[in-house]
Amino acid sequence: MTTVDVDDFDPHALTEQDFLDQVHSFQFWFDSVEGYLTDRPYGRPDATVEEPIDDARRDRLITSLCNYCVGETAALDGAAGLVQLAPDRNSKIFMATQVVDEARHLEVFLHRLRELGVGDPEREIERRAQPALVDFKGALLDLVAEGDWQAAVFAQNVILETMEYTVFRLHASTADAVTKDVLAGVIADERRHAGFGENDLGRALAIDPSGRVRLREIRTRLDAMVLGVFEAALADIGAPVEGHRQLASEYLDTVERLGLT
Amino acid sequence: MAEFLAQYSIQRWMEMCPQGYLEDTVYGHEPDAREPDELLADDDEREAAIRTTVSLVVGERCALAASSGLINAAPDHASKRFLATQTLDEARHVEIFTQRLYDLGVKKDDLESTINRYANPNLVKFAETLLEKVDAGDFVAGVVGQNIVLEGMAFTVFELLETGNREFNPKFSQTLKGTIADERRHVGFGENRIGSLIQQHPEKKPEIERMQQEMTYYMLATFSDSFSNVDPKSRPQPDAATGEADFHGTNLATATPEEMEAVLANTVLGEFKSRLARVGLEYQTPTVPA
Repeated sequence: MTTVDVDDFDPHALTEQDFLDQVHSFQFWFDSVEGYLTDRPYGRPDATVEEPIDDARRDRLITSLCNYCVGETAALDGAAGLVQLAPDRNSKIFMATQVVDEARHLEVFLHRLRELGVGDPEREIERRAQPALVDFKGALLDLVAEGDWQAAVFAQNVILETMEYTVFRLHASTADAVTKDVLAGVIADERRHAGFGENDLGRALAIDPSGRVRLREIRTRLDAMVLGVFEAALADIGAPVEGHRQLASEYLDTVERLGLT
Repeated sequence: MAEFLAQYSIQRWMEMCPQGYLEDTVYGHEPDAREPDELLADDDEREAAIRTTVSLVVGERCALAASSGLINAAPDHASKRFLATQTLDEARHVEIFTQRLYDLGVKKDDLESTINRYANPNLVKFAETLLEKVDAGDFVAGVVGQNIVLEGMAFTVFELLETGNREFNPKFSQTLKGTIADERRHVGFGENRIGSLIQQHPEKKPEIERMQQEMTYYMLATFSDSFSNVDPKSRPQPDAATGEADFHGTNLATATPEEMEAVLANTVLGEFKSRLARVGLEYQTPTVPA
């Protein structure tokens, strides 16, 4: 594919339709990921050296990765369902790029689990999955099954992606070198997904502010579930208390920008 | 099975597709490639090209809905991941064929009305038959319908169009080559994964065979409609070097529309029969020949 320097891309120079045509395209997706995925099999450069990890840290890492797999499977199933619900071609194509991103995340985390000596990742994921995360997955897929595009985008691309973006960044700051590399590519993707969610809902709510009431109700229903999930995730990665504050602050900033506080 | 599915990982897909045969392309072709001036200058030829491209968009939209819809029904992570790559492949096909409509002069505001105007009703019914199974969460029937019937048809249609446009329209030909490479992967997954699932669920065979029969009926009706609309001027152009555009023994440069329809239908049906047999299904002839 011909490389476009996405860093020099000026969205403000485009009309809204031209912006959507460019940003929500396979071409833009490829130009975006090419920079950070080329020559990185399973999300890591070959040159990165595995560092020694003691048993307790390894066990915590496996628990974190198992729960990341649950979250990414939820995101994969959710994004796949959203392809069907997307109200226009641009959104369908963006969601298709998100589908493959989420599948890649699942793949790199499963691969990392095997590198850490987990012989049967599927069974380990089932054993270590946080029940609250499994509940959140069910709630998200219910919204998708109901055909509620706005609510599902809010749950998936705003709530879940913002939380994952924050947890993965906190984790990357203390992770071993290989896990840090793997997380770096995932974080770059999550930023794009969260941006889509905020942009899509922001435009829709600016046209029809009445949707805010319904999204506030959904937020109230999901908040406790999601915050509980990520509190546990932060505990697994040994994040300091400031990390918990950062999580709350980034999430609240996002919902405030959408007028959903 | 795990080893086979590893060939369909995201990692492998990244290496083969965006970092492989799509490298240095824009919307599936070389950045400077253009539609031929003769085509753009002739209203009849341009309309025929729009009609053909609309059929490709309709088929790819169906494939996008089906592959994404099957992810939730997939019984294992590896199948989900393969279908994720297929979802993005199909979205790319929607994008590049939509872009071709713009290149042929369709205005962005007129896209949906153009598609509605030229979409073949039998092709729409073909898509609806498949999406009914997908919506019901029937993974085995969905993959047979999508990766064997739909992709098998698309693969052959793309090959015919690619052969016919190789010299006349290198831009369209290159775009098609990339999609053919994608479809080959999709068909391969369908055959491999479904074979084992059919063995586990033999009770599903009659229902799946009925779906195949119905989809085949609408496919043949679509071919019939398409070739009855062929403008003699818009037929594939002969290869400059050989004076031929050979497709399975038929010279597309000199063939009548009836001969082109026959070679296309026979090739697709031959593919169906051998692919279905490989997964343990028996090809069903449509009840009413189209």
